[in-house]
Amino acid sequence: MATATDAKKRMVRINGCVASAQAAKYADVDVIAAYPIRPYTATMMALAQMVANGELDAEYIVADSEHSQLSISHGASSSGARVFTGSSGVGVQFAYELYSPISGSRMPVQMMIADRTLDPPGDFGSEHTDALSTRDMGWLMGWSCDAQEAFDNHLIAYRIGEDPRVLLPQMVCQDGFFVSHITGDVELPDTGQVKEFLPPYKHPYPLDPRHPVSHGPQIMPEQGPPLQLERARAMEESMPVIEQVHEEFAKIFGRKYDAWLEEFMADDAEVVFFLQGAHAVTARFAIKHMRDRGMKVGMVRLRTIRPYPTERVREALSKFKVVGVIETNMGLGSVSSGGVLYSEVCAALYESDKRPLVLSFMAGMGGEAIVLKEFYWMTEKMLEAQKRGKIEKRTHWVGFEH
Amino acid sequence: MPTIEVQRQLLPILGSPNQGARFFNPELPSSEPFVPGHRTCAGCGPSIQYRMTSKAAGDNTILVGPTGCMYVANSSYLCTPYNVPWAHTQIGSAGSFTAGVAAAYEAMIRKGKWQGKFPNIICEAGDGSASDIGLASISGALYRNHDCLIICYDNEQYANTGIQASSRTPYGGMTTFSPPGPEVPEGKKLFPKDLARMMAAGHPHCYVATASVGYPIDLMNKVRKGLNNKGASYLMVYTPCQKGFVYETPRSIDLGRLVVECGLYPMWEWNPEKRAYDYSFRPQTMRPVSEYLKLQGRFGHLHAEHIAKLQKFANEQWRMMGVELPEALIQAADAKNLTNMSAAAEAETVAQTI
Repeated sequence: MATATDAKKRMVRINGCVASAQAAKYADVDVIAAYPIRPYTATMMALAQMVANGELDAEYIVADSEHSQLSISHGASSSGARVFTGSSGVGVQFAYELYSPISGSRMPVQMMIADRTLDPPGDFGSEHTDALSTRDMGWLMGWSCDAQEAFDNHLIAYRIGEDPRVLLPQMVCQDGFFVSHITGDVELPDTGQVKEFLPPYKHPYPLDPRHPVSHGPQIMPEQGPPLQLERARAMEESMPVIEQVHEEFAKIFGRKYDAWLEEFMADDAEVVFFLQGAHAVTARFAIKHMRDRGMKVGMVRLRTIRPYPTERVREALSKFKVVGVIETNMGLGSVSSGGVLYSEVCAALYESDKRPLVLSFMAGMGGEAIVLKEFYWMTEKMLEAQKRGKIEKRTHWVGFEH
Repeated sequence: MPTIEVQRQLLPILGSPNQGARFFNPELPSSEPFVPGHRTCAGCGPSIQYRMTSKAAGDNTILVGPTGCMYVANSSYLCTPYNVPWAHTQIGSAGSFTAGVAAAYEAMIRKGKWQGKFPNIICEAGDGSASDIGLASISGALYRNHDCLIICYDNEQYANTGIQASSRTPYGGMTTFSPPGPEVPEGKKLFPKDLARMMAAGHPHCYVATASVGYPIDLMNKVRKGLNNKGASYLMVYTPCQKGFVYETPRSIDLGRLVVECGLYPMWEWNPEKRAYDYSFRPQTMRPVSEYLKLQGRFGHLHAEHIAKLQKFANEQWRMMGVELPEALIQAADAKNLTNMSAAAEAETVAQTI
């Protein structure tokens, strides 16, 4: 399909932040709303330079807060512009009020998130709690594990979110530092490929003086259920679109991603890690090492958490004996008294005839790297549970136990 | 990169006398971007203002409505009073959402994605939004100079939530968050935030003005000046609230004049080119504040000392505008003199003596 223009593709070595900025440039965004907070800031720095150089024609707005960033994005998207914004950590939370209004008005705003631990204490490291705390606000949401995937996910997310069958905002997440600040080889496409994949943004009911519409009027309680049902359905009905867009992406760009899950050495595995984001890169190495020692371990990486692929997770995980959920998020006082991924996994498995044992590993908190020996340790815990046929302890704080 | 030049609208300034309003004015545009059918209270100052300002703006207009009376009472789902595009936004998003709309149109017209003259982009923020929760977002929009007009319809309280004090509630104003009692006889103890001057001082490149529903032609001209100004403009409009101020419903426009005549709502324009205030607006009469206060239940609990304090405040406003004060108003700023005016009838004579 796009082979005629392949010659203009090029490989560059960039980090996740710059990859996201490049994606926004390729998407020819109209309005950018920036506000500084580490580590995502580098994306906005790169975009500012592109606008200054004349490489990208966009309104670059330095907002007065994250709340304003998202409000600017809401206003611009409502007017018919393609919008790019982003944040990290407490910045994601400062804008919290806007997440529901944006998805409720069905505006496909795109937000890049480079995760950062919430306060206290001040900590730059990656923890997924910032974005995950907004997971039920009606935004499409998923994690990349390296710079190339981050670049690709931004284009894919625009395409899905702006599809008239979907019209939902998107959070395109990457781990702070592990992805945002580590360089990797990224293939930048030819603009012709992007044009073919991503048509111009056209909202059916923008704020246009020629076709007056009212956005977001007050409702009476009895008008609430149908409106909420419609938003829930939009989320549900985005699922086939998400799959279709991933297939088209593979055809045009030559990189094939499963829309929902990456399975690594999982075919004959008996115990698997279940996680999101950058730690999957370390996990792959650890799994190879453990395989050399004869341990039947694999990994299932969740690529899209909203909408949540319940059936896929059930099918994928039911065939294992033990699932070890690596949280990298805080769910204080939650079901597992650990993170929030555990309950998502268990709920998906509840209707399965063959339920694996599920453990929750609190690892990588505060942005601490999860090192190989910790993956070995977690594997041993899973194998012990498999041998015993039951779990002794649901939640393990990795590094605090023997 | 080839770009398309953005064409902007230029609205004519009305030549009708500034003060006159209660007659048919053939100069007014026939368009009605804000139509009847909403649920605002009888005599609602903000909605009178809304009709005037949107009429002055015309049909190539986009309205932004942060949460407040003009959102809750106006926009009912399936029954909207707006004949032009309108969007709700959060109460703290007044300036930022508006900035997003303006930025979108700059980019879309420049990039050939939308054809036509740049629309009038007007934000209608209540004083709660403008002086408190949305202050930073409005300051951001003014500072960045987006081509838009931000209006603060100032009813001096959070009215839609049931009359709570805002930073614009006057000294002595009774609200449900500033009730008078034996320990706090005056109710509201603080004087209001001087919001419009703050906007002019902090964003001197913007057109900033104050207006009142009591002077509709002046208001509409200020709206047009604000819209014609390429860049951000800010307008603060006195809009009485019958429910919160507690007055006789037909007297909204009278209050809109009295508040200016008694000096509690100075009328001025900030000229961004000259970087100077224009204080040339003069009401037909000057009156003591008591003339304005006595019409409103929210001031019914005030003692002479409180009224004198408000008179002192009004006198300071007059002085700031360079107006020489008549002796009677200086006298009225002293509680002793006020208590000497034993009857309301006697106080009323002050107006004539000026």
